[in-house]
Amino acid sequence: MVNFAVLVLPLIAGLFLGYLLRERKKVNLAKVTLAIILILIFSLGFSIGSNNELLGAIPNVGLSALLMALLAIGFSVLFVALIRRRMKI
Amino acid sequence: MIKFILAALTIGAVAGYVNNNVATLVASSWVTDYLFNASLFMLLFVMGLSFGIDKEAVAKLRSKGFRILIVPVAVAFGSIVGGLVGGLILRLDIYASMAVTAGYGWYTLTGPLMQQILGTEWGAMGFAVNFFRELLTIITVSLLVKVDKYAPIASGGATTMDTTLPVIMRYCGSDVLVTAFSSGFALSMIAPFTVVAMASLK
Repeated sequence: MVNFAVLVLPLIAGLFLGYLLRERKKVNLAKVTLAIILILIFSLGFSIGSNNELLGAIPNVGLSALLMALLAIGFSVLFVALIRRRMKI
Repeated sequence: MIKFILAALTIGAVAGYVNNNVATLVASSWVTDYLFNASLFMLLFVMGLSFGIDKEAVAKLRSKGFRILIVPVAVAFGSIVGGLVGGLILRLDIYASMAVTAGYGWYTLTGPLMQQILGTEWGAMGFAVNFFRELLTIITVSLLVKVDKYAPIASGGATTMDTTLPVIMRYCGSDVLVTAFSSGFALSMIAPFTVVAMASLK
């Protein structure tokens, strides 16, 4: 639960600050967000690349990940289609 | 966007490999711990900021009524059930599997989060599953829309408020904008919570 608190804190701080800044002029965060995402993804890639055990396991992860993605999509589509028909949204 | 991400991931992986196996320039932990955590916190902060600052996000939700919020709820359940079934089929830890699919396609969040909580292998899984989800949504949108009008929204998960929104609107019509955006918005808001909650059950 320590992880949960640590990760949610910046999210809530951002939400709060964003709410306060709401009446100010428009702020474009797209470029800043992209830059941060790229640094984050670079360090994610770095962790993967510097882990030799993981590199050996990647062929397995790829196929499992594809199956998981297909299942997540399949069940999401199924549930949404059922609920949409029932609720006539 | 995807081009840049793939480039950053590849360059990072090559740099990590070279640094670890060929010539050590920096201590790996400097990148994998400090840089990683600093950028993760900054991303969460900026995401919160951009949600908080967006007046239209809440207005868009109100205009259609909160009834359409049933869509992201169904997507959330569907995704987590998908993870459960996947975990059972592949004989992986079911909580970790559910955590991975509880990222709803937001791979830039789920990968790093899983990495932080459950280690590099699940981090790679979190990244790959959600990356495939976004990619498959973009590739199959024209087929999905024949299954159900909202199927691409269900498939896109959290990505339907930004990256997959233009594609979805092109195939489903502009009237799905509010539903797609609010579904992606709601799922993006709960994704950090659901990923961490599922992962901490392991």
